[in-house]
Amino acid sequence: MIVLNKQLLDDIDQPGGLRRALQKAIELEHATLPPYLYSYYSLAADNYAPGSPNLETANIILSVIREEMLHFAIACNILNALGGSPCIDKPDFIPAYPGPLPGGVESNLVVHLKRFSKQHDHDTFMAIEEPENPLYFPVGLALAKAPVTIGQFYTRIRKKIEELGQGILTGSTSLQVVGGGFPASELFPIRTVADVVKGIEIIKQQGEGTSTSPLDLDGNLDPEYKFAHYYRFAEIYYGRELQPIPNPPPGTPPDQRYRYDGPPIPFDESKVLPVIDDPSASKYPPSTQAHYLNDNFNYAYTGLLKALQQAFNGHPDRLGLAIQLMHSLRELALEMIVSTTLPDGQNPGPSFEYQPVNPGA
Amino acid sequence: MSYLNPLRLHFYGSFQAAVSTVNNDPTHFNNTTFRPQYQQRQEGQNANGWWNPRGDANWRMIGCNITSAWLVDGRPAPPTDPVLTYLIADSDRTVAAKLVDLDPAQQGVSEIWGMEIRIANQHGHTLMRAKYKVAAFMDLFERVFNGGPGDRMGCAMYQSVLTDLEWGDIDDSPFLQALRKAASNGLLSIKFNVDAFDDDFKSPTFTLGRVAGTIGPAADDEPRHFVLGRHLMTTAGPGQGFFVPAGNLNFCQAVVDREAGKIYLDLGNCVCTQKPGGPFQNFGPMMVVCAITDAAGNPEYLPLASVDYLANGWYQRTAGVAVLPENRKLTWDELDTVANNPLAILLAPSAGQQPAPAIAEPPGGLYIRADQFVFRLNPGDSAEVDLYATHFGAPLPGARVINFLDGTQIGGGPLVGVPETALDFPRTLVLDQSGRARLKVTASDPGNSRGYIDGQVYGIRCALEDTLAPGLAYPFDPGEFISLLVWDTFNPDHPVTWYGSLQPIFQQYANLYPIMSRFVDLADYDSVVANRHMLAVAFGLDPGDPNYMPVTRDLSGDKRKGILEWLKNPLKGTPRVALAPPAVVKESASTPEELPGRGGKAAFYTQLRARRKHL
Repeated sequence: MIVLNKQLLDDIDQPGGLRRALQKAIELEHATLPPYLYSYYSLAADNYAPGSPNLETANIILSVIREEMLHFAIACNILNALGGSPCIDKPDFIPAYPGPLPGGVESNLVVHLKRFSKQHDHDTFMAIEEPENPLYFPVGLALAKAPVTIGQFYTRIRKKIEELGQGILTGSTSLQVVGGGFPASELFPIRTVADVVKGIEIIKQQGEGTSTSPLDLDGNLDPEYKFAHYYRFAEIYYGRELQPIPNPPPGTPPDQRYRYDGPPIPFDESKVLPVIDDPSASKYPPSTQAHYLNDNFNYAYTGLLKALQQAFNGHPDRLGLAIQLMHSLRELALEMIVSTTLPDGQNPGPSFEYQPVNPGA
Repeated sequence: MSYLNPLRLHFYGSFQAAVSTVNNDPTHFNNTTFRPQYQQRQEGQNANGWWNPRGDANWRMIGCNITSAWLVDGRPAPPTDPVLTYLIADSDRTVAAKLVDLDPAQQGVSEIWGMEIRIANQHGHTLMRAKYKVAAFMDLFERVFNGGPGDRMGCAMYQSVLTDLEWGDIDDSPFLQALRKAASNGLLSIKFNVDAFDDDFKSPTFTLGRVAGTIGPAADDEPRHFVLGRHLMTTAGPGQGFFVPAGNLNFCQAVVDREAGKIYLDLGNCVCTQKPGGPFQNFGPMMVVCAITDAAGNPEYLPLASVDYLANGWYQRTAGVAVLPENRKLTWDELDTVANNPLAILLAPSAGQQPAPAIAEPPGGLYIRADQFVFRLNPGDSAEVDLYATHFGAPLPGARVINFLDGTQIGGGPLVGVPETALDFPRTLVLDQSGRARLKVTASDPGNSRGYIDGQVYGIRCALEDTLAPGLAYPFDPGEFISLLVWDTFNPDHPVTWYGSLQPIFQQYANLYPIMSRFVDLADYDSVVANRHMLAVAFGLDPGDPNYMPVTRDLSGDKRKGILEWLKNPLKGTPRVALAPPAVVKESASTPEELPGRGGKAAFYTQLRARRKHL
């Protein structure tokens, strides 16, 4: 479970605190993407073609990635509704990997960029997405202070906005971003407090589910992936789909209504592309293919942040550019992974670093 | 007014051209004979899909540093001007630009589509942003004589204009302020030379090459893609692949600035190098002269300036642009002589040797060129080609222009240039008072004359009548002709269905662009349908958008319309029991087995030469 710094919550009541909280939420939503994407790229054997190994695992991760992007967009829209300005195009927007996620995290979770493995799924992905009260699993962490989860953080933001009421939503509605392949039921303009509540509930339920059900009840990008992120990653870990127990007697507690005993989710670790752990530009010597390919990736990735910066700061029509860049990142990453082998026999992977110029050798 | 101007900057760095090579072989367009190994890299003498079947056509400007900048009065920008620390970069907000051939039978006019050019500081902050008007390379030549096979031995140049200029905070750069002032018409002129392209997939610098270029102001009423000035012409020397200039120096252009008393001569795509990306070959002292005839009718050379082309770092600093003479102004007498007589460059390769002309303006100084010289036409479309003619750089009014089909520089695969009736254009034109004419070329359906390749490729050459007199052998630039791709009429089934009309089209793209399999299996109905929203966006973009699909810009307007219609309602139709046999097409000499071990532009020109010899 990600445990946020309690100070984050306290700060919400300070002047400007809500906007700071939303900016932090945006950074946090983004910060999950590089580790998820990196693992997703490592599952690209046969380009995710039908029947390719580990396709189902890759698709589950992709479903989470898409929802994290949605959450990012919702958080940006809420910040804009509050009259703030999402700040995306800056070097420290990207956390250092390995390292903690943004938000003054108090747990010991250090997030790495690693090829996909069940261990990484368990230790990082499930840990990131673990709800406050996960069904089936105890929290398992002894903490000196009361933990603050991402869900609680969002709840606090929601409550504060409800408390302050409609008058706090001073931002121009022309800044609101919709579309980008997301259904209107999930990415919509934030104009009212009710819109804020709806948006935050989508983020919370897709991410964590509820305390009584693993289902993401509030609508879904893809009906195939109806469970909250934590449970989707758990399905991969246990190698079985989560499915409801048929005809539970009345009064069955929530954690006995589902079981990981559905159809298998096959995973063949030998088919994972052997990309290195924790890539960084400094690991790729100048004048090597890996160096140039990594530069191309990072330049495009930085371009993506710039396109998002513009899209959420008055040019909503530029979301399309950002999505094009997102697609091109996948191609650039895969080209990097398959093009060349490092001296140790592993493949290079993209390092997700802020690089606003393509410097060459 | 162009980049050949006192006010200009030079840049030097790398480019990337990650082209796909599967479609470099015309026979790969044939769906019925396509084999899976054509999507593999070449291996030994097996050409397969040549050296980069996974190419994505991305074009990038990488690490291009501004190496010098010059002000209106001819002085260098002061060392304190931060422009000297800036970069020429491509877009930081869109996907990469694309490098696109016209056709497998015309690989000699690769265009850059969807490129943004920026002047940026080292932190990526943008001081100027602009769109590069699509343009093809010109004057490809063998820059490393007898250097061996491969594209790394070649060099070519791009010239175009930058439009849609957006200026950032340039308060601390006197140079950029001057440039912005000069660009009040919203245009800048850009020209760059590309060489040393690395087509060796085992090399660390694979798909990278060297670029050196110049940016300056542009006039509204001048050509976008060449300089309205002086054009020094060479002839073809013996060679196997790329054009080899007979006198060691390739075609080049210059302007004479009477006011400044200077000649701006661009040698950037002109002088050979010792090795790919290496220093210039030492041809001895280089002298720019004016060729005159004495009273007795003997040639005489009026020396004007020497060029210090061998100076250390000269190309990096200047991109090959020489401002001559260096330390004085031309006198009025010299300027008058130059205005009516050919400019020439003399070389003296060995010590003690008498300097001899390596390249010169032709006697009479006549020159004509089409500005835009690459066109894609649907049946019924017209290309309006602007022609400019000059006489020693000055407009040539009233002369007659002869326009004729010329297929000598195109070919490969099914016979090109037929039927000739698919192009309608006037065979003669008369230049107006400003030495200009507009050639209108109207296309009609070429009738699927190449079978498995859509449309037909043509070349049209325009020449001044006075240069075509029998026995005159007036020099001309073989690369300066108009290339046209005319698409076939498309008659889909109604309503359009996958099997009825579209499957062969998508199959061909799936064959030729293996990279697309990272997103969608274009040969598979279900995969295409599953991705139809993404595809509808990509097929619906403006062709100038870097993300436009198909990357190759070789899809006819009618086919594109049919695909967009179909994506809204993707009917499957009925699979054919058997695929129709391929149309019987007259093949020219190329088969995959005859390809040299490594392909690219070098292979294209090698085969072109071989075919011409054969004919």
